[in-house]
Amino acid sequence: MDKILTVCPYCGCGCGLYLHVENGSISGVSPSRSHPVNRGSLCIKGWNAHEFVTHPERLRYPLIREDSYLRKVGWDEALGFISSRLKKIKKIHGPDSISIISSAKCTNEENYLMMKFARAVIGTNNIDHCARLCHSSTVGGLATTFGSGAMTNSISEIADAKTLFVIGSNTIEQHPMVAMYIFEAIEKGATLIVADPRKIRLAEFSHIHLRHRCGTDTALLMGIMNSIVAEGLVDIDFVKKRTENFDSFRKILKRYTPDVVEGITGIHADDIRKVARLYAMEKRSMLFYSMGITQHITGVDNVKACANLVMLTGHIGLPSSGLNPLRGQNNVQGACDMGALPDVYSGYQFVKDPIVRRKFKRIWGVNLPEKSGLTMMEMVEKAYKGELKAMYIMGENPLLSNPYSDYTREALQRLELLVVQDIFLNETAQYADVILPAASFAEKDGTFTNTERRIQLIRKATAPVGESKPDWEIICELSSMMGYEMNYRGTYEIMEEVALLTPIYGGILHHRLNTGLGLQWPCPSTDHPGTPYLHRKKFARGLGTFMPVDFIPPDEPPNDEFPMILTTGRIYSRYHTTTMCGRTTVLEREEPEPFIEVNPSDAEKLKIKNRDSVKVTSKRGSIRLNAYITTTVPEGTVFIPFHYSVAPANALTNPALDPEVKIPELKVCAVKVEPL
Amino acid sequence: MKKVEMNPYMLIKGRISEILNLTPDVKLFKVRIDGIKDYLPGQFFMVSLWGAGEVPISVTSLPSDVLEFCIKKVGRVTGEIHNLEVGQYIYIRGPYGNGFPTDIANKRGILMIAGGIGISPLRPLIEWLIKYPKGRQIIFFYGSKTPKEILFLDDIERWRRNGIGVHLTVDMADKKWNGPVGLVTELLKSVNLNFEDAISYICGPPVMIKATVKELLSFSMPEERIVTTLEAHMKCGIGKCGHCYEGSKYICIDGPIFTYKEIVDYALSL
Amino acid sequence: MKPTELILYKDHLSYWLRQLRKERELIGPLRGEETDIVFKSVENIHDIVLDLPAILPTVKEFLFPQYEPMFKYLMTDEVVDLRDNTKRVIFGVRSCDVTALTLLDKFFLDGYKDPFYEERRNETVLISIVCGRPEPECFCAGLNTGPYLEKGFDVQLTDLGDRFFVQVGSPKGHSAVMRFSFLFRKPYKADYEDQYEVFLSSKATSQKRISLEGARQLILSGKVKDDFWRMISDKCFECGGCVYQCPLCTCFTVTDRVFGDIIERVRLWDACLFKGFTRLAGGILPNEERYLRTKRWFYHKLIYYPDALNGFGCVGCGRCTIACPTKIDMASVITRLKVTAGSEG
Repeated sequence: MDKILTVCPYCGCGCGLYLHVENGSISGVSPSRSHPVNRGSLCIKGWNAHEFVTHPERLRYPLIREDSYLRKVGWDEALGFISSRLKKIKKIHGPDSISIISSAKCTNEENYLMMKFARAVIGTNNIDHCARLCHSSTVGGLATTFGSGAMTNSISEIADAKTLFVIGSNTIEQHPMVAMYIFEAIEKGATLIVADPRKIRLAEFSHIHLRHRCGTDTALLMGIMNSIVAEGLVDIDFVKKRTENFDSFRKILKRYTPDVVEGITGIHADDIRKVARLYAMEKRSMLFYSMGITQHITGVDNVKACANLVMLTGHIGLPSSGLNPLRGQNNVQGACDMGALPDVYSGYQFVKDPIVRRKFKRIWGVNLPEKSGLTMMEMVEKAYKGELKAMYIMGENPLLSNPYSDYTREALQRLELLVVQDIFLNETAQYADVILPAASFAEKDGTFTNTERRIQLIRKATAPVGESKPDWEIICELSSMMGYEMNYRGTYEIMEEVALLTPIYGGILHHRLNTGLGLQWPCPSTDHPGTPYLHRKKFARGLGTFMPVDFIPPDEPPNDEFPMILTTGRIYSRYHTTTMCGRTTVLEREEPEPFIEVNPSDAEKLKIKNRDSVKVTSKRGSIRLNAYITTTVPEGTVFIPFHYSVAPANALTNPALDPEVKIPELKVCAVKVEPL
Repeated sequence: MKKVEMNPYMLIKGRISEILNLTPDVKLFKVRIDGIKDYLPGQFFMVSLWGAGEVPISVTSLPSDVLEFCIKKVGRVTGEIHNLEVGQYIYIRGPYGNGFPTDIANKRGILMIAGGIGISPLRPLIEWLIKYPKGRQIIFFYGSKTPKEILFLDDIERWRRNGIGVHLTVDMADKKWNGPVGLVTELLKSVNLNFEDAISYICGPPVMIKATVKELLSFSMPEERIVTTLEAHMKCGIGKCGHCYEGSKYICIDGPIFTYKEIVDYALSL
Repeated sequence: MKPTELILYKDHLSYWLRQLRKERELIGPLRGEETDIVFKSVENIHDIVLDLPAILPTVKEFLFPQYEPMFKYLMTDEVVDLRDNTKRVIFGVRSCDVTALTLLDKFFLDGYKDPFYEERRNETVLISIVCGRPEPECFCAGLNTGPYLEKGFDVQLTDLGDRFFVQVGSPKGHSAVMRFSFLFRKPYKADYEDQYEVFLSSKATSQKRISLEGARQLILSGKVKDDFWRMISDKCFECGGCVYQCPLCTCFTVTDRVFGDIIERVRLWDACLFKGFTRLAGGILPNEERYLRTKRWFYHKLIYYPDALNGFGCVGCGRCTIACPTKIDMASVITRLKVTAGSEG
């Protein structure tokens, strides 16, 4: 029996756990008691993170599609096939006819290599990953306001906060260990404010719960800020010394009086004022948000509004005081940090910046493309139009996670070449020309960066199943086969290159991570101890910028034909497209069937009873599932978890995009619900 | 490989000798098996297919070389069992559980109330009572969703001929149905029986059990003579896996047959 | 039978363990990251941590693993019993865990015998160390489930500084010690005095008192209403941590894994805190309301265990206090239970 310390592969909390290895096979997990995030606890997913690793359905060999069946092939044949096809497509249609989807489930090293592969080997900036669907708004919105798009505090600081304002995050279910600290803070007397249209579990413990209308977050936040200004609660000193552009922001803010905002959001003006006071009058105030803020056509505006709020009150740059986007995937922070994005290299260094480009060119030894690449949704659109010819997807399942699945499916089918590299045959892989078997988190080395910017080592506990290989090895081999030598003795060598090229990771080397429980970026040099909270004394970009924002209603309001608002999300025992937890006995058993939450008064109007089967239709598609009648959702709004391939919520969702970062509006669309 | 025979989780292979399609989703499997001869009405077996899993199923026959299992298709395991054909193998272990208490039924009126597939464990009990007649008054109430879903109609006719008072009811009638429509509990009201000196055996879905028990209590039937089966999620059948633990009893080893007196605390929350 | 009592000098510990390791897998407490301690196979005997905190990870997994293959079924219709018969010696076990195992023996081996547990139990020798410094979370002393045991252990060690006071309490323990009797000597008066001193100081530091019997009586008196369990469970994350970490929780589920021509039947730890745990055919959830599940866990430990196994389903190890993200653990729930029931008279 051996026990290997590693990091949980589920959410962004980044809990430390030991994998138990018996006779070369994973036999269990246990939490690390001294870990700064989980302190000896785990959630249901963490406790069961071992089972899927050895699941019989793991992909064990490369497969190539031949007509209707998948032929088992060797690595040389599979990679040779991909290599020659990619080269051919590149030659005929140019490098920008190829796109790469990298993975927030893979390590930093793998994401770095994937972005290097796209830029240096293929010669395109067409690389993106699922952060596009979750926190691209954060990356975009906070880059312009603060200069750095990440959680500003550490998770453990939450315990000492005095006011907690959670907007658009179902924290107990999606970031259980963050919620653990929220409870600790409440126990110590902190005030909890929850803003969420749904009566999520955390709301039961809030001192005030704002159930604003779906998609009115900007207005709500503007209303709170208007109140803060009106009541003289602005941290004038902070605004003067640390920020800029306040005046132009203030002009717009004037319009958002609590009464005006009441009309937009449905939140009583007095409650808006109350929240303004609660949030502003306490110094140790932390603001948390997640998909409820970002997955809108106004995602970036929502984020900017959050940033404005913390600057207005000066609640940033101190312990237990800051703005905290909760990142969803185990390594979505890292995948962004590594530049698996169309406009930046690792460390958010812009591809359009010639100095940056020259730096990367010097180390990589090739000319690099100047133009920003395609975002995830643009890739799908170009594929649909036939302009994009090849897509290489590593560890993602866009068919289930993207909005408007029918469109995505059609787009994928129109590709000349679709490569899917994953640990299981996911829904997207059913359309792949080549499928490459990857090693799971338990079978490789590398690092994950959690939501509090903590870079932690993951360690190989067992040999990869079958002939599967770690993603970084696959990328290296393919790259070398395509004529660009990638030669690393181990992931530590990749991280060394990352450190060389990436200022915020400058001091991150594996041997430093080998003892202790990770380092938090920015960590610019090898003697730097890491940064528990950001923007101390100075914002990453110098001065914080107030960005004027204006309320824009959701793209698809309810109408006569589709009278209800559909909002989507996740549930506690499932994770995303259920590739892993669907193959875990107790997780699969908790909520085996898809459901739609319907408010009792809507249910009465629609004449549906609990557990009745219903048909839900939007402009784009229709699914059937059982009704779960609950007051969790407000009247006129329904909620569907997006995990289920038998009734994919994303068959219905609206692909309308935020104009700036192209995140789709997964949180609001119009539907009709009919009994069956 | 050693001690395999001493492993209580080990399955015994049986050959399916006959399959009867009772309704679209209920089949009767007759399984020829060596080595299992002793079991009581009300006991159950863990029935299994390798690769699918195990499910607890009441035996619906009296002891013989051929065991009968009446199986409704409700999930993955039962679904795969339904795909089996005559001559194929099925794996079982058991018998488990306590079986119906027949000793306390001497010379009293006997009331049997079944809902849906709940007839299955009562069937061998009825056969046993017919085999050993002691001049009891036996009344059998059976509620089904629709007339088409009434199981073991041939047997029921034979039971009638053997002097058992059979009362059938359905939730939804069809054109041919001329019997009563409604819940079993409604029928109980009209029965002519001295409830205080009778015993009742109930088997059916939880809601039906709850309603029936309530009804019987209102007729002053003593708690210790209301006998019911409880259904539970089970993985082992031998008191180890913990799933069927409820109200300080393990349904698999302390039950699945309980008198209402034993489970009064739990049954209220049924 | 009074346990055999001996003295082992710490200088001889590694030699002894090395001899034991020649015939058994040696499991011991080793340093993980920072202050973590993990039980795993010992490569280097000198890495074994002797200066241990009171609360160590549970050793339940070595007798009832989180993931345990039961059978292998081959398409030739052959079934292989996969029960593990590895010989193990576990060094550094806590007394509370030893007590828990004596109860698990009753649970797994009375009535139907669980052969998987039985085989592992028979092949495992436990060398437990009496702990002298309880942590704020644990409370074995008041329950007599530790830190000093009179019986139930194989070999019990008390740290006397440069040497261990050794008590041998079972034939397995006897064999593990007596075959190397040249390493041990009879205790002298001074050894007994030292041992008594450690005993007293450990007793003096074990302040936390949690009365399981008091809680049981309160529950049985009917004073604890469902509202209490609702209040207790409202913060439950349904993580299963209390169950997974409890040395006396044994629920499992069974699943079949089909690897081409080979089917493996595996059992996995399960937890009654999950609503799917009691799911019936047709999707009926008898314990859909969270409080019913929390209540069930406490009833199982405080009512069922004493009724059926003559011992509480809690040995005061304090692990649920550490594992629970929102502190719905045995100690704090009992404290709240007394306050609530007390205030209602």
